[in-house]
Amino acid sequence: MKKPSQPFADLSRTGLPDLRWRPGRVLAGFFIALCIALLIGALLAALTFAGRSFATTGSTVADIGHLVRMSAIQAGTSTLLSLIVGVVLAWSLDRLRFFGRGLIVGLLSSALVLPSLVVVSGLIAIWGRVGWANLVLAPFGISTGASIYGFWGIVAAHVLLNGAFAARVLLDRLEAIPPEKLKLGRSLGLSTVQRFKIIDLPAILSSIPGIGATIFLLCFTSFAIVLVLGGGPANQTLEVAIYEAVRLDFDLGAAVRLALVQLVVCAAIIIPASTLTPAANLFGRRSELHWPEGMLVSAVQTVLLIGLLACFCAPLLAVLLRGSGTAMASLFGQASFWQAAGTSLWIGLASAAVSLGLAIGLGMARSLQRRNSPARMILGVPVFTYLAVPAVVLSLGFFLLARFVGVGPAQAAPLVLVIANALLSLPFVFATLSPPLEALAARHTKLIRSLGLSGLAQWRWVEWPLLGRPMGYAFAVAFVFSLGDLGVISLFGTSDFSTLPWLMYRAFGAYRTNDAEAIAAVMLIVAVVAFVVIPRIFEFLTHARD
Amino acid sequence: MLVIENLKYRHERGEMDYRFDLEIERGKIAGLTGPSGAGKSTLLDLIAGFLPPDSGDVVLDGRSIIGLAPENRPVSILFQADNLFDHLSAGANVALGISSKARADSPEVEKALADMGLSGLSKRQAANLSGGQKQRVALARTLLRNKPVLLLDEPFTGLDEETAHAMRAIIREIVARQGWYAILVSHDKEDIAALAQNHYRLENGRSHKV
Repeated sequence: MKKPSQPFADLSRTGLPDLRWRPGRVLAGFFIALCIALLIGALLAALTFAGRSFATTGSTVADIGHLVRMSAIQAGTSTLLSLIVGVVLAWSLDRLRFFGRGLIVGLLSSALVLPSLVVVSGLIAIWGRVGWANLVLAPFGISTGASIYGFWGIVAAHVLLNGAFAARVLLDRLEAIPPEKLKLGRSLGLSTVQRFKIIDLPAILSSIPGIGATIFLLCFTSFAIVLVLGGGPANQTLEVAIYEAVRLDFDLGAAVRLALVQLVVCAAIIIPASTLTPAANLFGRRSELHWPEGMLVSAVQTVLLIGLLACFCAPLLAVLLRGSGTAMASLFGQASFWQAAGTSLWIGLASAAVSLGLAIGLGMARSLQRRNSPARMILGVPVFTYLAVPAVVLSLGFFLLARFVGVGPAQAAPLVLVIANALLSLPFVFATLSPPLEALAARHTKLIRSLGLSGLAQWRWVEWPLLGRPMGYAFAVAFVFSLGDLGVISLFGTSDFSTLPWLMYRAFGAYRTNDAEAIAAVMLIVAVVAFVVIPRIFEFLTHARD
Repeated sequence: MLVIENLKYRHERGEMDYRFDLEIERGKIAGLTGPSGAGKSTLLDLIAGFLPPDSGDVVLDGRSIIGLAPENRPVSILFQADNLFDHLSAGANVALGISSKARADSPEVEKALADMGLSGLSKRQAANLSGGQKQRVALARTLLRNKPVLLLDEPFTGLDEETAHAMRAIIREIVARQGWYAILVSHDKEDIAALAQNHYRLENGRSHKV
């Protein structure tokens, strides 16, 4: 079988976009990129203008140097531990075969978009003052106290989420090792260490800087986890400081200054990071060849896998057990819960639809451009919005923009939440859809073109059925991402306009732990159901085929 | 007559300059052989319009087709693989050759499939067809499209000898009957000997008549 080539790689020898084939798709992609760029530009302009207009009231006392230093130490520690956990998990999962392995791989895939508040709630349920750990240790006169609050609590939550993400991407790299290499290694009788050094390490090493940079940025800009588990100003991130400046101190001037610092720091990380190998590509070629380790190493891997998965699953299990039953029944009796659930649901669905549309538009246009062309790069830039402009900064930009155009936060909130969450989930949706779109273009464009199919026919007969599964998964990712958002709603949420995470955070703040745990359980159930049901709905609608 | 006239091309990577000159008569098949990297697939891509030549012309019956987009060229292609959309039925794959609105169970689709010995397979998903059946479905579509230039890019690779033999006979008969111009790229001397009336060899980016 011939290797599929990049179609029409030589059609455009200039740096300009190639408009000779499917110009409508190319122009639509550039229109989307332009709209996102204009929106981000308007938000940045609003921030800059506000920075000049609003003097700080002095009520916010934020030591920016300390904030940056502490955020960097916390993010660095979280990244290092996440990578170690990721490598061990991926290495073990690559070698072991067992019933339910696919489910675990799926669980790891969804970790990055799992609502962080759910993980936080689970960790508190286990390690909090009245958590399981203290219940077990109490008869022995030992107590973990409130150790979950503070630096190590934040790191633990970050490692849970990002370790799983790192494992998923690294597993993909290990599974993409060509079978010939494995055959050669096996015939040479490589030991476990030799195999890891000679075969595994080169496969994963190129991905480590990209994954590391992504995780560092996610932890550096972490909001919900730090807000709940921070335990005071000592462990604050810039995001939390911005939120407190707006919501607690009503000091817009200070908030804007902090946001501008956050933007500069993020840009300083994202620019070098964007030159590193892209991290997320979950649709790589799979090697069918399985080469298990010997008995002893397999036993070690099994123990490591069980231990790490227990650490990952226990908080989720705790959420389900503690949040169900009477706590959930009581929650269901509250009108505010149903109002927040309804809002979360429609905003999640709307932002997922917008995100999917944006990703398809950008991805289609991008797949028509030559590799390494400036046009292709331009179409990829909007995808980095989330990493370059974190949730609370984006929210603050919208907050200021709404003020400038004379729209009250309450009126702007629904639209802002839909757009902001769509933009924030775009990197994940794009990472899911871009590889299959590229693969379709590489494999079928010559045939499609030689048959003279129209764009509509191409969509109807080729792309719609073949993209059904990844589209469903991408939609679920965007929906769950929006469902768990606390960053955007944090500046727009009120008692009248609330989402589930906002309601949960307020329950935590009011020491209504039972309500918070029940909301966490509902969010976890909805997230799992979304990941199971939404892809199936898309499969049904598209009559999805492999 | 199909004339490939002083067709020049240089890859962006610039390892080799290609220059091709070929003449194919109506109803005949020209065989194209040569080592890997000699430019066989490049020549087919130039004729089909997937690559823009630096200079030269492709003239069909006195009319240049070099300025036409791939979808507008009077060209059909039979690749070594990926000739069909695996997720669609055999009939739907053939119908796409007529128009995107054509029905997979239309009489002309059924007839084209029957002509290729594939009666009753119209509803079968392409992924479930054998290699030889897939190539014949693609040929049925080619027949319906009735484009006068047929490019065959190693279409028999991977087929067993019996199937390849049957395919060769079908192609020879169709090209002669329809008065098409065909170019066959193959590594297999037997393919060339069985099908080609003219034989060109590509070496170092140049075409030589054998």
